[in-house]
Amino acid sequence: MATPALQLIVETEPTMPLRRAVAPLDDPQLAAIYEEHSQPIYYLTLRFLGDPTQAEDATHDVFLKAFRKLADFKGQSSLRTWLYRIAINHCQNLTQSWQARHIFSNADEAVWETTAGQAESPLRILETKELGQRIQQALAALPDEHRLLLLLVADQQLSYEEVAALTGQTTDAVRGKLHRARKSFAVLFNKSA
Amino acid sequence: MKKKLQHLEQHEHEAQAELPQHTREEQTAREFATTEEAIRADAAETEVPPAIAVRLQKSLDANPPVVPEKSWWQKIFG
Repeated sequence: MATPALQLIVETEPTMPLRRAVAPLDDPQLAAIYEEHSQPIYYLTLRFLGDPTQAEDATHDVFLKAFRKLADFKGQSSLRTWLYRIAINHCQNLTQSWQARHIFSNADEAVWETTAGQAESPLRILETKELGQRIQQALAALPDEHRLLLLLVADQQLSYEEVAALTGQTTDAVRGKLHRARKSFAVLFNKSA
Repeated sequence: MKKKLQHLEQHEHEAQAELPQHTREEQTAREFATTEEAIRADAAETEVPPAIAVRLQKSLDANPPVVPEKSWWQKIFG
């Protein structure tokens, strides 16, 4: 069965064009890397961690670590993939640390399997800003692995093979988990209305 | 006179009560074919806080990284 379309009602008010991150970095090469990759890295950390302040800290730490280790980068993967690897490790270390300190449970997949019918309903929001809130709520209720997969495959610069390599599994496993992740996401998105 | 004024105020009050309906913004449907498309739209609307780059430069100034003399990425970006 095809994944249902996500229909969102938004205000017709024209949106301001998004300002690209201008990197006030002295080194033009580091500035070029930051300008090209800071947006996807920040977005990953924001939606994976679910906290803007933590995401700011994480993005800073990821790029600082990457710039310090740039001499070690051999170009065996794309720079984007390498940065993602650093970001994923950083985020997973943070969440493992939080989980060790707090009682934390992810949504049980079985719940979403039994309520999959809710995924058939169109998804509606009233304001553009609601899109981010609803996506955050839905992602936050997913298991870490599913959340990460959805965020990675949404980046059109990454192939399924690269997503598989980043998450340490086969492409078939990625496809199977993505199918469940998409269904769960649609159910959770509807529930957050 | 007083009665006329009261009538005028009443009319204005009714007109104001109706105002939200007249000024309500039109809404339109925005449809995403896939979950990834919705996430991409959200990502496109998410701005990187400028403070990160400022902080990053301060960290680099405090402890400059060892940048390789000649590497593939220098060839690309250099």
